[in-house]
Amino acid sequence: MGPGLRQETRETHVDWGAAVTAETIIQSLASGLLMGLLYGLIAAGLALIFGLMDVVNFAHGEFLMIAMYATFFLFAFFAIDPLLAAPLVAAALFVFGAVVYLLVVRFAMRAKANAGMVQIFSTFGLAIVMRGLAQFFFTPDYRSVTNSWVGGKTISIAGIYLPEPQLIGAMLSIAAFVALYFFINRTDFGRALEATREDAGAVALVGIDKNRVFALGWGLGAALVGLAGAIMAIFFYVYPDVGASFALIAYVTVALGGFGSVFGAFAGGIIVGLVEATTAMILPPSLKSVGIYAVYLLVVFIRPRGLFGSM
Amino acid sequence: MTISRRNVLLGATAAAALGPMAARAQTSEVAIGVIYPLSGSSAAIGVDAQHAFNTAAEIINKNYDFALPLAKGEGLSGLGGAKVRLVFADHQADPQKGRAETERLITQEKVCAVVGTYQSAVAVTVSQTCERYGVPFISADNSSPSLHRRGLKYYFRASPHDEMFSAAMFDFFDAMKKKGQKIETLALFHEDTIFGTDSANAQTKLAGERGYKIVADIKYRANSPSLTAEVQQLKAANADVLMPSSYTTDSILLVKTMAELGYRPKNIMAQDAGFSEKATYDAVGDKLEGVISRGSFSLDLAQKRPMVGLINEMYRAKSGKDFNDYSSRQFMGLIVMADAINRAKSTDGEKIREALVATDMPGDVTIMPWRRVKFDEMGQNNFADPVLLQYTAKNFVTIFPEQAAVSEAIWPMNS
Amino acid sequence: MDTHFAQRRRRDLIVAACLAVIAALVPLFVKDVYIQNIMVLTLMYAALSQSWNILSGYCGQISLGHALYFGLGAYTTALLFTKFGVLPWFGMLAGGAISAVIAMALGYPCFRLRGHYFVIATIVIAEIALLLIQNWDWAGAALGIDIPVRGDSWLKFQFTRSKLPYFYFALALACIAWLVTWWLEDSKWGYWWRAVKDNPDAAESLGVVVFNSKMGAAAVSAFLVAVGGSFYAQFVSYIDPESVMGFQFSLLMALPAVLGGIGTLWGPVLGAVILIPLTELTRSFVGGSGRGVDLIVYGALIVAISLALPKGLVSVFGMLSGRKGAAR
Repeated sequence: MGPGLRQETRETHVDWGAAVTAETIIQSLASGLLMGLLYGLIAAGLALIFGLMDVVNFAHGEFLMIAMYATFFLFAFFAIDPLLAAPLVAAALFVFGAVVYLLVVRFAMRAKANAGMVQIFSTFGLAIVMRGLAQFFFTPDYRSVTNSWVGGKTISIAGIYLPEPQLIGAMLSIAAFVALYFFINRTDFGRALEATREDAGAVALVGIDKNRVFALGWGLGAALVGLAGAIMAIFFYVYPDVGASFALIAYVTVALGGFGSVFGAFAGGIIVGLVEATTAMILPPSLKSVGIYAVYLLVVFIRPRGLFGSM
Repeated sequence: MTISRRNVLLGATAAAALGPMAARAQTSEVAIGVIYPLSGSSAAIGVDAQHAFNTAAEIINKNYDFALPLAKGEGLSGLGGAKVRLVFADHQADPQKGRAETERLITQEKVCAVVGTYQSAVAVTVSQTCERYGVPFISADNSSPSLHRRGLKYYFRASPHDEMFSAAMFDFFDAMKKKGQKIETLALFHEDTIFGTDSANAQTKLAGERGYKIVADIKYRANSPSLTAEVQQLKAANADVLMPSSYTTDSILLVKTMAELGYRPKNIMAQDAGFSEKATYDAVGDKLEGVISRGSFSLDLAQKRPMVGLINEMYRAKSGKDFNDYSSRQFMGLIVMADAINRAKSTDGEKIREALVATDMPGDVTIMPWRRVKFDEMGQNNFADPVLLQYTAKNFVTIFPEQAAVSEAIWPMNS
Repeated sequence: MDTHFAQRRRRDLIVAACLAVIAALVPLFVKDVYIQNIMVLTLMYAALSQSWNILSGYCGQISLGHALYFGLGAYTTALLFTKFGVLPWFGMLAGGAISAVIAMALGYPCFRLRGHYFVIATIVIAEIALLLIQNWDWAGAALGIDIPVRGDSWLKFQFTRSKLPYFYFALALACIAWLVTWWLEDSKWGYWWRAVKDNPDAAESLGVVVFNSKMGAAAVSAFLVAVGGSFYAQFVSYIDPESVMGFQFSLLMALPAVLGGIGTLWGPVLGAVILIPLTELTRSFVGGSGRGVDLIVYGALIVAISLALPKGLVSVFGMLSGRKGAAR
């Protein structure tokens, strides 16, 4: 170390025996479950887009950032509560997602060589542009929605605290996944999406425009991120780099559940949330992500296509 | 092939551009390098810093009637009224980029001094580079105590470091105990960066020396998506004082999460950072009534020293914010550096260094509650007394040490 | 075909030798340290990207976790030097060897994964390593390691102001990485990799040998990247976990190859020569505004190149080497 940075090993005296009780364990798992459902909601759009067309959107975190900013500005300028703003934000993100598909992803999918790399890096470049634009137009300042209807409110049941924003997010997450399931399996459009994925050439013959279907698919994926962003904005801060914290978790969530399976993303989210909460009880909290990553590796080493993956 | 042509061309343009610039510097301008994160996740800090430095440069370059060095008269009198010109550089919180930009500032922009850097990790390489080129560096707002202990000749820091800050906190605890308050257990909550580690190291050491028990020592990952598990451990420990060392993002999330999990700490004694940022109080100020943060600046000093209020107004006109602990230290960093250049009557690195060594600025000609600015042999100013500020009724008031206090501490914070 | 191929390979070697000589002469004319610094970084990224390209381009195993090996190289060298006084030249070899062994150990389970599952596995493995170092007090944890610089010394490979020794080291590393790639293209391994890319069925019949060759590629790639990491530690003389093992480093290493032309001999060099000066110059001359304009320019460029030239910039220069060019 030389005369350089000083470094001492600290003795820590933390009495964990007294700190860990049944109540803290239940609380941890309950919070982990809520967080997990939210991770699932954030990842749903990513799972849908991948399931549809085999594209991983590396700007997914930035889509979330845009949704959070939209919620914040609707609240700050028009006093629209995030809960009311959620459908508006979802609609706006729907348009945004479709536009991104038509302007960027469509061309990435056409690439004849190195298709995987082109998709990764064109969406990654898009992510950097979006961060730069956010900094340019919104400044790098940290923003927060204050005094929203449910912000900061919490329900206490037998000493277990369940924050209302996360509860609403969790319920929305369950509802979104149920709706998505029916949408993909029970509607004509859902079947058209599925068919387009299976064989774009064949569907063209029956008069389905591949680009239109995919643009709508991207819109739908982005709209789901919009919902997640609106809820997140209630209890999180917003700034240009906020997406980065969630992006990796979203990828791991989707991959853990298995690419191509929307239900997998739902299950993946819950597992990630619970594993994170459990790891933080065992290891120092700064290592809690290690638990998530280790579980991912364990799962794919045993099942190379994730828990419910089809590809 | 591309490489050579490109670089030869670039070199030529750079040389052509530098010619007149260097000549100008001798006659009417003194270039000072200012290196901050201007893009990336801590860009918000860098942009505020730009406003603080521009405010300081404006006061130096134009005529103001403040009892601050260089305020009266235009420019640096020691150099025939030469104006200070700031050259900003972006290090993006990356030590390698900090080093490269410092080198560019010194060799291309011909700056005679450098001020920076916000992130301590970047201060390490920026100060190393300045040392190699014999250019003085002022660490305006880095609080890592390891920085001045590396035997660097050109390193100076006018503001306090974490050990001084933490000592003030424990002095305050001791004083409160004498008044009959019960303070026995502490909970540390710190991020996994240099700042968080240094701060926790200092606090752990002091707690051991002065007989306080640390019942929770939570190190968390900076910019975490969730702090639920961390807060549960804090809640379970329920210490007499919670001592967070966190930047803005995590401070906001910490306070929100504590409220959501029904944890009201008995007291919060914050290591500045997020707890002195306007964004934190805009977001969760209602839950922070009574929080105490260390600082090196306090706006209520304006009552005793009117110029503090006036300079703050100038800064607010640029940034839309009041001076906080960071922007005030950045402002003073430039003033101290410019004052030394003025006394050196030269832009030569060694002469400026000598002038910095000879610096002896009384506290009342600064905007800080410091006793004076005078550097020890390691370049640290040990007369920069930290203050403790309490947030009450949407304002920070100085509560410690007694000679600077304008109000009694509310303890416990929720009483 | 073989004669064509052989001719092309000879030409590549001659072009490379000429470029290396020209590059070596540049510092005689360019004395500005800022520009020299950019040249060092350009060569370093060319070397790193070339090494990354062996595994990710030629073998098709896209790794976004190579920061792991870069960090291992940097940490091994810095720790051996500051704790035990081992000269960085030995540290460099030790770091390379450790990285190669770890790459093979990780490759064993990971090469069974396909596509995005593999990519995400590489990302999380590097993240785990980052978190462990960040929490490892003996290795400096978040404080990092400050390598004391006491004057110029070839033995300790440290120089206070001069960039030239670093420049020539980076040039040598870039040349070695290029030569290894050049040699691999015409080796048994290179042949298998091409066969597998063209015909997935061939992968089945070649199963075991291909698996072994991928392990070899992982080891070579990791070794060279780790040497790059050791170099970086000496060059910057301060390392901390975030700046040598962060995810962005994995991306930065991949970008030159991707933009220049993934899986090609010249792609990484070309990509680095264009990308690195551009990144540095936009930050230096646009980044000071604090408004994120440099990010917009940088990101838009990545989008534009990856969309317009999926085969990379080499396709413009008509320098596509080897088989593809020969087939034309």
